[in-house]
Amino acid sequence: MSTTGAKSPARAKIELLVRSEAGDDFHVTKVESSLAYRQARPQRIPEGQYEVAALRSNVRRTTTYVVKNRLTEKYIELTEPESFLWNQMNGRTSVEELGVAYVLKFGAFDFDIIHTLIDKLQRAELLTMRPISRLREMLARNRKNPAARAAEATLKALEKLTVGSRRAHDAFTRVYRYGAFVLFSPVGLAALALVTVLGVKGTREIWQDSSDLYAGFGQHPVIALLLVKLFFFLTLISHQMLHALALVHYGRRVKEFGFTMLHGFLPTFYADVTDVFMGSRRARLVTGISGPLVHLFLGSLYIYLASQCGPGLLKSFLVASAILQSQSLFFSLYPFCFLEMDGYHVLVDWLGLPRLKSESIAFVKEGLWKRLKGGGRLNREETVFVGYVALSTFSIAAFVGLNVWFFVHTA
Amino acid sequence: MAKSADLNFLRQVILFRDIADSECDAIWSRLEERRLRRGEALFREGESGTELFFIRTGSVIVSKHVAGRVEQVLARLGPGDFFGEMSLFDGQPRSATIQAEADTVLYWLDRANLDQLIEQNPRAATAFFTQLVLVFIKRLRDSSDLVAEVTRWGLEATGLDVERPATGGH
Repeated sequence: MSTTGAKSPARAKIELLVRSEAGDDFHVTKVESSLAYRQARPQRIPEGQYEVAALRSNVRRTTTYVVKNRLTEKYIELTEPESFLWNQMNGRTSVEELGVAYVLKFGAFDFDIIHTLIDKLQRAELLTMRPISRLREMLARNRKNPAARAAEATLKALEKLTVGSRRAHDAFTRVYRYGAFVLFSPVGLAALALVTVLGVKGTREIWQDSSDLYAGFGQHPVIALLLVKLFFFLTLISHQMLHALALVHYGRRVKEFGFTMLHGFLPTFYADVTDVFMGSRRARLVTGISGPLVHLFLGSLYIYLASQCGPGLLKSFLVASAILQSQSLFFSLYPFCFLEMDGYHVLVDWLGLPRLKSESIAFVKEGLWKRLKGGGRLNREETVFVGYVALSTFSIAAFVGLNVWFFVHTA
Repeated sequence: MAKSADLNFLRQVILFRDIADSECDAIWSRLEERRLRRGEALFREGESGTELFFIRTGSVIVSKHVAGRVEQVLARLGPGDFFGEMSLFDGQPRSATIQAEADTVLYWLDRANLDQLIEQNPRAATAFFTQLVLVFIKRLRDSSDLVAEVTRWGLEATGLDVERPATGGH
């Protein structure tokens, strides 16, 4: 336990010992109260146990909402922003995500309103707090299943591979000061444009003579392609570094930078850029697209260099790398694929719908059919939800179809 | 006859600090050795047992069950520390689980041996119990601090502001 000081005590920590499923092993973990709070997922009490009434003020021209707990007969009044947050409290959104949603909706950060609202709702017994990780929850529910147990244990082991630094900001500030600022200047933009033009030129030349592009891989094309993938993986760090440098450019703080196994199985570098929500919309946009632009730069450079090379291993390697970079550029920026990549974040920022994916899926699964059956028309927001799901579904089907076609034709 | 290293170890244990060498020799002859591998549990909360354990090398975690497979770590004990005194005196089941955090060497004393010590070396027993009372007081204070800290953790983790008057309800 941490010790308490007389002045400004540190956040309380508790130390927990967690046993393995078999009970023959354990690990000890320290949990800080603030982490538990940020990762808690507030959940409204079940629908039917409360009711909401809107009160329109003609004088103030605002609407407030009265929420009543039917079981306890307790009432509370919510303002518009509080009502927005209340609607997000579905047990799947963490307190941290509520903060992000609030910023995207109202353009300003006010953590106190979230804190006060949670307190108010808890007093009125309108809220329960749920733990983090839906995947973990699902696995925990199915612990009787050996496969789920094994998956949980594996995820736990892989998650330990996380290597991160919370002091990366100073390093990025130095990198920015000693040269990286150029990347965010007209010179950097011009260099990107120039390399892109060269890339287009190189692509045309390669396209005109595309026979035996991979002949340079010789007898071991699979091993060669795996090496290309490995090289590509190493360049992914520059994607995250650009996000972090963009943050520094806009005077915000890089909270963390490191490597982790995303969801327990996807090796990836990461930069915690959540502080950008305190910045302008332009800052969010630039931070969002700066990472993907690395792929545009590298892809263009590789393809141009390949066009200048004679047939051989180097040319094949550069072409394969350029293709991978192009794919990454596309997937990072394309928002309609049910993945929350950079393009998705730019889209939700533009639309002002921070929970576009989950709300769209929920509407299509639960509300759309009822609406169509009742003959009602979709409002603007619902049209966006349906559009998102339709485009994402179509995109994934097209992607799978294209891969099957490619596989059949190349085979 | 205890070796010099053994006597040094006993001197490390606060309970034996004020006991003469000759009496320490007598105590040493009553102690039994027990070795634990890293991760091995010595005993679990709720089990019976009336031994008092002294740590010579290594370290153990004292934990109490909270929920499911989760236990709260109450303390970490290292060389010179002791545990198990509650069940030694009240005969109740173990109040916490003891698990080795590293390979650990322990020595233990049971109630029968302690009774013999009291009978044969009353002066040593007095010194032993005086120190034991001081340790009890310290542990009681630590427990109060722990309760306060866990309460603070709960308030911070749930965001509950108890200083603010209740709002909303009619």
